[in-house]
Amino acid sequence: MKSVSELTDFYYRNLFATLEELEIQRKNLRYRIIIIGIFYTIIFMLLFSFILTSNLASGDFFAFALFAYVGIGGLLYKFLTKDYTDEFKIKVIKPLISAIDEKLNYTSSMYVAQRTFERSELFTATVDRMSGNDHVKGIIGTTKIEFSDLHAEQRHKSSKGKESWSTIFRGLFIVAEFNKNFIGKTVILPDSAQNTFGDLIGGWLQSKNMGRDELVKMDDNEFEKEFVVYSTDQIEARYILSPSLMQRLLTFQKRSKHPVYISFIGDSIHMAIYYGKDLFEPSIFRSLLKYKIAMEYVSTLHLAIGIVDELKLNKKIWSKR
Amino acid sequence: MPTSLIVLIVVAVILVLMYNSLVSKKNQVENIFASVDTVLKKRYDLIPNLVASVSKYMDHEKSLLEKVTQLRAEANKPNISDEKKIKLDEQVSSALGSIMIAVENYPDLKANENVMHLQHSLSEIEEQISAARRAYNQAVTDYNNAIEMIPTNFMATAMNYSRKPVFEIVESERKNINVKELFN
Repeated sequence: MKSVSELTDFYYRNLFATLEELEIQRKNLRYRIIIIGIFYTIIFMLLFSFILTSNLASGDFFAFALFAYVGIGGLLYKFLTKDYTDEFKIKVIKPLISAIDEKLNYTSSMYVAQRTFERSELFTATVDRMSGNDHVKGIIGTTKIEFSDLHAEQRHKSSKGKESWSTIFRGLFIVAEFNKNFIGKTVILPDSAQNTFGDLIGGWLQSKNMGRDELVKMDDNEFEKEFVVYSTDQIEARYILSPSLMQRLLTFQKRSKHPVYISFIGDSIHMAIYYGKDLFEPSIFRSLLKYKIAMEYVSTLHLAIGIVDELKLNKKIWSKR
Repeated sequence: MPTSLIVLIVVAVILVLMYNSLVSKKNQVENIFASVDTVLKKRYDLIPNLVASVSKYMDHEKSLLEKVTQLRAEANKPNISDEKKIKLDEQVSSALGSIMIAVENYPDLKANENVMHLQHSLSEIEEQISAARRAYNQAVTDYNNAIEMIPTNFMATAMNYSRKPVFEIVESERKNINVKELFN
């Protein structure tokens, strides 16, 4: 697989003409967004003050007005940036992915299926709404891999019947075939309890975690500090998490710089990296030619596709070949 | 309710909790040891086949093969203690490791499909054994901690619980089987 620096080279060398073209579009678009934004705000203010003076306003009205302003504004923004976004994805993200591996398929509008997300058991809350994009699927070496942006949400209803949504997960969701056979379920979560409450109380809290399987204490101190492992089978969890895999997962987590959730269920490894934002979107207010922006696309793709190499998923145990 | 009665109840509850936690730790050790035993047996079952396939070729390592066979026979005896099983496992692991290294010296043997198959099976089982050993060691550590730490140590003494041995995982021993690296 190509290294991050090779990919950055590719980004600047092979995509340079496209990027310059997009850069002109971006500047025009930015100008348009600012103008339309100003007009939109003025019109909204006028309407708002008109309603205020006509005494139709109640307490809830302000909240509603703000909600409408943000909601309509968001739609407007999406509508304005749609063409630019689509073009960016086809002309930049797609070639980047092909540059990493030609056998990978990219579909900008699709995402990892909800049942796959639910199967992973990484997040126990019920998913009421699921969205996502930038779906990549294919085979690297002999390992099937699939990943996309995901946004899973849960609906809440207050006693007054008001509806609100909370985010369960937002970020990159990766599923890949695992190189060993297993039957049970093993879930690895970021260790918040042990970090906040210390070993003794944190450890006790972990063992009392309802809705999760048995706590598995791992024999790698560093790993144990960063993660907490639950499994249906004490031995199988350790069969999956060999000393070297624990080290590799730690390296991966450090590289991702975001909370990482991992589970081994079915025949797959599921990884959810919580970025809290939509990835692979074109920047509109900053230049596409900026190194920092480029690095964000390149390193995220490299991280996701790189798990096959990094976790050595192509080295299948003999009975799985 | 008189205070003395409340104190008595609290003490009784604490004692019961301590007792139960010790019992559950002991059972956890036993449960996991049962699984360790199963994978160890799986490996012992491969030994006759291995010895049969390699003995034709290996002239210089006869004593090694005899030793493995003898260890297997010993392990299959009924009613051997856990300590003994752990000791035997250590010996078998190192003997098998030596055989695998010796195989490297016989090109015919290395190319033999049956031997290759056995080698792969062995290294897969080896991985499972390693996982089982680690699980067992963790359970034993929890158990040993409980019987040595205050306040459960008093209860443990009263219950006549004693320390249990852990598996020694020798680094060099793990490296003996060369194909193993592939699966880590």
